[in-house]
Amino acid sequence: MSAGNGGWELPISEGELWRLTRELDEAHQEYLPRMNAAAAELTEELRDTQPTAAGVERLRVGSRRGFLLGAGGVAAALALAACSSSGSTKSQGPAPSGTAMSGSGSPSATSLYTGDLQVVALATALENQAVGAYGAALAAAKAGKLGTVPAAVGTFATTAMAQHADHAKAWNAVLTGAGKPAISNVPLSNQPATLKALGAATSAGAVAQLALDLETQAAQTYLFATYSVTSAGGIATAASIAPVEAMHAAILNFVLGQYPVPDDFLPTDKAASPTLLTV
Amino acid sequence: MGEENLDTRLLAELTEQSQDLNSDAVRITREALTEYGQQQEPTRRWWQRGGTVAALAGGAALLGVTRAAAASSSDVMALQTAASIENLAVSVYTTAAGLSFIKDGNKTVAAFIAKTTSQHQAHAQAFNAAATQAGGKAQAAPDPKYAAVVKQMLPSIKGPGDVVSLAITLEDVAAQTYTSYTSQVSDATLRKLFASVAPVEAQHRATLLAVQALLAGSDASLIAIPTDAAKLPAAAGSIGFPDAFYQVKNASPISEGAVQ
Repeated sequence: MSAGNGGWELPISEGELWRLTRELDEAHQEYLPRMNAAAAELTEELRDTQPTAAGVERLRVGSRRGFLLGAGGVAAALALAACSSSGSTKSQGPAPSGTAMSGSGSPSATSLYTGDLQVVALATALENQAVGAYGAALAAAKAGKLGTVPAAVGTFATTAMAQHADHAKAWNAVLTGAGKPAISNVPLSNQPATLKALGAATSAGAVAQLALDLETQAAQTYLFATYSVTSAGGIATAASIAPVEAMHAAILNFVLGQYPVPDDFLPTDKAASPTLLTV
Repeated sequence: MGEENLDTRLLAELTEQSQDLNSDAVRITREALTEYGQQQEPTRRWWQRGGTVAALAGGAALLGVTRAAAASSSDVMALQTAASIENLAVSVYTTAAGLSFIKDGNKTVAAFIAKTTSQHQAHAQAFNAAATQAGGKAQAAPDPKYAAVVKQMLPSIKGPGDVVSLAITLEDVAAQTYTSYTSQVSDATLRKLFASVAPVEAQHRATLLAVQALLAGSDASLIAIPTDAAKLPAAAGSIGFPDAFYQVKNASPISEGAVQ
C-alpha cells in the first residue's frame, strides 16, 4: 500500500489487479468443490452410520456410565447451579440423585438426532450454551454486576466465546449437511440451572468457575465422542476441538489460582450425556 | 482501464474484508472438513478391519484401556512414535530442571517443569504399554527428528524464555500428533488413549504460552499459583489458545519414531 496525492494509490497496475483477482477467483472455485465434496462425504458417512437401536443404547449407557462415575454421581448441571448460588467459586456438593438424568428422559426414542448425529447435536448445544454463557457474563460485566473484572478475564471471555461460536458453526454444518435442522439455541435440560447460576454470579471469580465447569464438560464430552462415534469426520472434529476446550480450562484454572494441568490424562467423569438433549 | 477509474480506498477495504472472510472460512472448514476428508479413507479401512475388544492389563490399565485383538502395525508405529515424543519431552524437561536459571529461578516455573515431566513419563508408559500389548516393542529412544532440533537449539538456550520456547514447540508437536493419531488408529480404545493425552499436552502449551507472554512483558512475578489475576495483562487471557481448532499440519508421521 502506498500513499500519494493525498490518498491511497494502488501499488500495482490495474491489469495486474485483474490477473490476481482472476487467480483468486480460480482458487476459490477450486477450493469450494473440494470443501463441498468433503462435506458431502461426511454427510453420506453419517447417513451410512445411522445407528442400530443397540448402537444408540451403547452411546446412551456408555455416556451415562461416564457421567455417573463423576464425584459422587454429581450431575454437571446441578453442580453448576450449586457453584454460584452460594456465591462460591467452587462447585458444591452432590445434586439430588438422578435429577438431571431423569428430567431429560430418553430423548433418543423421539429425537430428531440419532446415533452420531445425536452426539453432534449435543456438541452443538454445548457450544451454544458456552457462547450464551460468555455473552451473558460479558453483558453482566459491562453492567457492573460482577464488580471489577480483570482485563485478562474479559479478553478470555471474548476470545473463548468466538471460538465456541466457530465450533457451533462447524457442528451445525454437519447437521444441516445431513438434512437435519441446525441448532441455534440450547436444547439441554441443564440450561435452566446454568442460566440460574449465571444470574446468581456476583463476581468475576464465580463466572470464571462456571466457565471452567462448562469448558471441562465440553472437553470431556469431546473425548468421549472420539471413541464413541463411528464417523471418521466426527472423530476428527471432536479430536480437534477437545484440546482447545482443555486449553480454555487451563487458562481459567490459572486465573482462578489453581494448577492449570491437573490431570495426567483427560478423564470423562464430567462429560455431558446425550440424554441432556431435549430435542 | 486506468487507475483513475478505481476507488482504491473502497478496493482496499473490500480486499481486507475478502481476506478476513476467506481466512475465517478456510480456517473453519479446513479443520472441520478437509483434513478428516483426507484421512477418511485409511481410517475407514482400518475401522472396517475392526477387531474384538479385549481387556488389557499393565500400564494401559491406568486408563482403563483395552485393545483390539488385532491392532495393526500402523497402530504400533503410532504408539511407538508417541512414546518417542514423550521420551524426548522427559529428557528436555529433565535437562531444563537442572539449569541454574530454572533451578534457582521462578519457583512456579520449576514446579511446572517437575509436574510436566512426571506427566510425560506417565504418557510414555501408557503408550509403550499399549504398544507391547499390541505385540510391538516398547520405544525407549527419543523422536529422532525433534531430538536433532533440540540438539541444535540447546547451545542457544540462555534463559527461562528459551526453555519455555523450546517446550512450547515440543508440546505443540505432541498435541498435534496425538490429535492426528486419534483419527488414524484402528480401534476405539487407542483413540481414547490418544484423545485423552492430546488435551493435556495442549494445556501444557497453553500454560507455557501464557508464561512466555508474562516473561516477555517483564511480569514474571505474576507467574505464580495463585497469581494476581487483577494484574494480569489483557493478552494473558487469550494468548494461550490461538486457534479455534487444534492444528495437525505439524503432526509427526506415524513412522517417525517407530522402533526400527
